[in-house]
Amino acid sequence: MEISVREVSGVNIVDLSGSLDTNTSQAAEDEVNNLISAGHDKILFNFKELDYISSSGLRVLLATAKKLKVSGGLMKVCSLNSVVQEVFDISGFAGILNLASDEEEALASF
Amino acid sequence: MADVKKKFTVLAVDDTPENLDVVKGILTPEYVVKVAINGPMALKIAEKQTPDLILLDIMMPGMNGYEVCRTLKSNPETRNVPVIFLTAMDQTSDEASGFELGAADYITKPVNPPILEARVRTHLALKVSMDELQKAYGIIKVQKDRMEDELNVGRDIQMSMLPLEFPAFPDRDELSVHALLKPAREVGGDFYDFFFVNDDEICLVVGDVSGKGVPAALFMAVTKTMIKTRAMDDHSPASIITRVNDEMSADNPSCMFVTLFIAICNIRTGEFRFTNAGHNPPYIKRNSGGLEQLDQRHGPIIGAVEGMAYKESKIKLLPGETAFIFTDGVTEAMDTASQLYSDSRLENVLDATKSGTVEDLVNESLASVESFAEGAEQADDITIMAFCLNEESGQSNHHQTQFVIKAELPEIERINGQLDGFAEKHNIPSDIVQKFKIAIDDLVTNIISHGLKDGDDQSIGVRFEGSEEQMVVEIIDEGMPFDIFETAKPDTTLSIEDREIGGLGILLVNELMDEVAYKRRNNTNVVRLIMNLRKE
Repeated sequence: MEISVREVSGVNIVDLSGSLDTNTSQAAEDEVNNLISAGHDKILFNFKELDYISSSGLRVLLATAKKLKVSGGLMKVCSLNSVVQEVFDISGFAGILNLASDEEEALASF
Repeated sequence: MADVKKKFTVLAVDDTPENLDVVKGILTPEYVVKVAINGPMALKIAEKQTPDLILLDIMMPGMNGYEVCRTLKSNPETRNVPVIFLTAMDQTSDEASGFELGAADYITKPVNPPILEARVRTHLALKVSMDELQKAYGIIKVQKDRMEDELNVGRDIQMSMLPLEFPAFPDRDELSVHALLKPAREVGGDFYDFFFVNDDEICLVVGDVSGKGVPAALFMAVTKTMIKTRAMDDHSPASIITRVNDEMSADNPSCMFVTLFIAICNIRTGEFRFTNAGHNPPYIKRNSGGLEQLDQRHGPIIGAVEGMAYKESKIKLLPGETAFIFTDGVTEAMDTASQLYSDSRLENVLDATKSGTVEDLVNESLASVESFAEGAEQADDITIMAFCLNEESGQSNHHQTQFVIKAELPEIERINGQLDGFAEKHNIPSDIVQKFKIAIDDLVTNIISHGLKDGDDQSIGVRFEGSEEQMVVEIIDEGMPFDIFETAKPDTTLSIEDREIGGLGILLVNELMDEVAYKRRNNTNVVRLIMNLRKE
């Protein structure tokens, strides 16, 4: 997995590529926690380059969403491939997280 | 009972009746004297009832004495009857020709009665001794033949008990096993065996019975049968050997015993459990290139002490690693200078053999022993067995790969790597590969985090199977029973605040896969993840 963060009009965009699973989710969680600790409360996960996500990755997303909900921030996820979309559907995350089809659409709604 | 001495019969042959009367007069009544006045008549009498000694005149009309003697010596019935030539001729050359024909003695006429009597007595005594020797030799030969027969029967029993057809399991690509037994001239009592105790576990046995002949062969047959019977419902080498030893020791009047190495290997996980009962230690040829001697001892030879509790050890065998099991006929093979082949020579051969099949390894080590011991007689049976798990195998439209990982989370990356390779080779679509990776990630994480006990050197077996119809991933672990379908389903309708993450992984596994099957098999959990490749 590769992870990088960029800021576009006040939103921190987390680009993830590869996989978000047992062996990579900790690094992703650390990265996101750093953003939250630094006071950033608008986070967009861009999954354009993400191949797949397992429940460990879902756990990171859920934990992040809960933290931002408490602090009044906002988390969105965009550009899911079909497999990741299926995982979101099965887990019910499609209904409880803010999803967007692409980055542009996501940024417009922050 | 009184010893009634049988009278010896002497046949006197002479064309002059007066001479016959003289001889008859000297030898009667101590001997029964028969007479013949020419050669053909002599032969006829000798043939009808073999005399104990023949007095033979040389110069006779028609058939002379030499011819009569030659004929007698060519007939097995009369060959051993001593012939004494009795003749007026007294030239040395005549004596020589008589002895050449096999005559026992030579007496010149006129006959001196005491000399004739003495010579006849001497040669009859010699004949009696010869007959006794002949009889003794006959008895010895019968005994010798009987012993050889027994050795042959023992050998036949021994060899008939061994699995001799290779490849042993042509439809099981996951493993290779090869073995041979090179018998010594006399029976040494070695044996080997290998058999599946169930779908996943194979039992390997190499043993050496003390003793020779039919008793040793029967002891070996009983031991082998007993092990196999026990192994079918008891998958612990220690427990099998403990029970077999009790039975063999309890009723062992001939005090025979057997050294034994037995292993049970799970071909899915590579777990290799073994018990060594007084046997010489086998070797493991590791993928790292190292040679590991399994020098653990778990109890004495079998058949000696009743009530022994044997122990067992456990190692991991990775695909490509070979277990090399043998009897002391290998390391104790001697060359013509009585030097032993030794462990170190064997280790050198095992080290030097870098690639090839288990059959190659077996044959190369035997060839090394044979060239070392060339010219010396093989004193003991030589038995060699090699066993390994295979990395990968493929048939035309059914492919499979299996391997073993350590029960550690970073090892999931290794499964992913193998999966990518397998998928590329067999054109598995990427979305199916991704779903497998998710399911594997969640399943294996679950097994490692919850299923396995800590602190143990655990491993997990992984198997990929691909056909045109479907792809299957099988995950095998030795943890406590864990049925993927028994796990409570999380409520996926709750809001962010109320959602717990637990159970989500198993939900993903069940929902992402087209089919998931669980079964508990031989103390392992086996989960089969199945994806159909022909989507409508």
